[in-house]
Amino acid sequence: MKYLPLIWAGIWRKPGRTTLVLLQVALAFALFGVLQGMKTGVDQAIANARADVLFVAPAAFGGMPLPAAYLERLKSIPGVKGVTFADGMLGTYQQPTQVVYVLAIEKNDTWLTLAPEIFSVSPKDLAALHNKRTGVLISADIGKKYGWHVGDRIPLSSNVQQSDGSATWVFDVVGMFTAHEIGAGGYIVANYSYLDEARTLNKGTVRNFYALISDPQRAAAMSQTIDAAFANSSNETQTASFKENAQQQMRRIGDLNFAIRSIVSAVLVALLFSISTMLMQTIRERTPELAVLKTLGFSDRAVFAMVVAEAVVLCVAAALLGLALAMGLFPYAAKFVPGLSMPKVVIAAGVIGAVLVALVSVAVPASRAARLRVVDALAGR
Amino acid sequence: MSRAKQFWALLQMNLGAIPQRLGLVCTIVIGVACAVGVLVSMLAMGVGARREALANVRPDRAVLRSVDALGAAQSSIAKDAAASIHDLPGIRRNAQGEPIAVAQALVFVQARNRANGEQMGFPLTGVTSGLVDYMPELHLTSGRMFKPGLRELIASNNCARQLADFAVGDKRNMRGGEWVVVGSFDVGRTEGVCNVFADADTVLSAFGRNTFNQIGVMLQSPATFAELTSALKANPAIRAEAKHESQVVEEGMQQLNGILNFVSYFVGSIMALAATIGAANSLYAIVDARRRELATLRAIGFNSGPIIASLLSESILVALPGALLGALIAWLLFNGSLASPFGASFRLAVTPALAVLGLAWALAMGAISGFLPAVRAARVPVTVALRST
Repeated sequence: MKYLPLIWAGIWRKPGRTTLVLLQVALAFALFGVLQGMKTGVDQAIANARADVLFVAPAAFGGMPLPAAYLERLKSIPGVKGVTFADGMLGTYQQPTQVVYVLAIEKNDTWLTLAPEIFSVSPKDLAALHNKRTGVLISADIGKKYGWHVGDRIPLSSNVQQSDGSATWVFDVVGMFTAHEIGAGGYIVANYSYLDEARTLNKGTVRNFYALISDPQRAAAMSQTIDAAFANSSNETQTASFKENAQQQMRRIGDLNFAIRSIVSAVLVALLFSISTMLMQTIRERTPELAVLKTLGFSDRAVFAMVVAEAVVLCVAAALLGLALAMGLFPYAAKFVPGLSMPKVVIAAGVIGAVLVALVSVAVPASRAARLRVVDALAGR
Repeated sequence: MSRAKQFWALLQMNLGAIPQRLGLVCTIVIGVACAVGVLVSMLAMGVGARREALANVRPDRAVLRSVDALGAAQSSIAKDAAASIHDLPGIRRNAQGEPIAVAQALVFVQARNRANGEQMGFPLTGVTSGLVDYMPELHLTSGRMFKPGLRELIASNNCARQLADFAVGDKRNMRGGEWVVVGSFDVGRTEGVCNVFADADTVLSAFGRNTFNQIGVMLQSPATFAELTSALKANPAIRAEAKHESQVVEEGMQQLNGILNFVSYFVGSIMALAATIGAANSLYAIVDARRRELATLRAIGFNSGPIIASLLSESILVALPGALLGALIAWLLFNGSLASPFGASFRLAVTPALAVLGLAWALAMGAISGFLPAVRAARVPVTVALRST
């Protein structure tokens, strides 16, 4: 305990230098935190994705959508608990560049729990949607983007033709939903019945089905069963569980681990060099002081331990600061990667990393400090 | 002594003393090298993707899509409109005297990855006659062209590399019917992209469609593009707009490039900031070690302006080799290596332009990190510094 004031004084011997080192290490660990947070966010998104919801889509996009009549056939497949579906259309608000996707859903309570990690809606809002044919639910992001509020009436232009010949679709905002999507504020939720009754083309078709199965373990087998049921028809399907889709999507982003590891190693290399030269410089400047300590009776080991302790305290404090900074950045970064998080493992890894960085970079300076010969040091040799 | 002379003398002195302060100088070089290396490697993805996409673009090709369509998928051109586009001016004619205008119907079909059985889509394009005139870079490496009216397709060699059942002679099931792969081809310098072509009418009827997505035309020369667009404007019934092929490709790249650039500059900025702070610290240490020397210089008549300028120049000159080192490492490690983020597939390209960008960043890092230490050096109180031991 009696060493604490000495260590503290050693750290703050040159406040300017210490502050800069602190900032540099903190920045490095903030980057580490954001990158790792992204990775754990992705891993958790995959882990949380439901394996018991199968996404049934047409095997070819750009051709005919799936007939809504598949609903009954899907329900009759053993192992399927429930089925719902969605359709959609692209619209633009005021300008051709302000694109809004209209997700059209049917009245079904499945939507309350279908994909909580990317879409959540309250029973009240869902009921409000179904009580108004032209109703839509909006997310807070899209509301902010275009200045929409509950009660507003919003006109969207679309290439999807209506039977009355109009190119403008009018929706009434009746409630809100919460979305976690990349590039937030891209879609709104409307009634399928409104879309399907008003359009002229593709009546009675849907974009995809969601089939809930009773046994998530059998997701792969059930997917094959469903695809086999519609094989060799003119509307073949391609089925996969949410979990499988999430895994594939993430693999498609590329080798995230490799990129993160490369960046983190580059950061570490720069950091190690920087800190060790800084510590070396400090020890050089403090040679007379350390010699005085030894003259007063401090052992070589005590001097060594003190120098090491200074480095470790500085690095760990900076790392914690950096990780806190990363957490502060998460709400912003979540717009690009939903579900960013910093589990305790990452914090622990950061602290261990900081200790290692400190130990490696202090090794040479500290042993030099410990080996100082009092006579030479005091004489300035 | 003039200020310029003072500056030169000081700069020579600073640079001459670098070997004595090798540790601190190396720190700056390595810090800058890591930051620039990471930035350049990450930007090389975007550059590579763009280079790949633009490899086969020709200035005398144009693409017609419906007005205000966001992309090919949202564009729709009716059959009669497609027919009237054939007669527009500015379009080149082939040896038989027919205009080179290929109507295309795009469908995205699910398939299985050959290596791991995962789902992977491929674009199937139904094309009207004239594909060979429209795409002179397409050459069959085996098999033959598809025949109109039959369920036959030709696929680029990359399809066979990535996806199962794409060799010549293989049969594929689509829309309840059997399609035969009758030929495989290569297109110029583009790597990693899977392209599949079949007869337009066969695709339209099999997939239950009655409109095309877009029409590709070969222009008489790049200059006749204006002729074509004014003819389109004069004929509003067609409801289509023409764009240069390069513009269409660039627009298609925007999203991927946006994400790649954001990530690159985000990571690059944080690393550059950390490296700048590290460099500033090293420069402070250098200035502190030279307090007496600097005080002596001031005492014998050197002005603070040249002192600041010489130290700033030193910090910039030390940072620049760091940038070159970083760009070199990026080039050695990643140039030409295959990346496949977000479903795209291309080779990274570390170009001289990226190296120059890295140098510019290093210049900024050197200037910013050197500024405060240089000012401190010029402000060394002469009497105090000379008296201290």
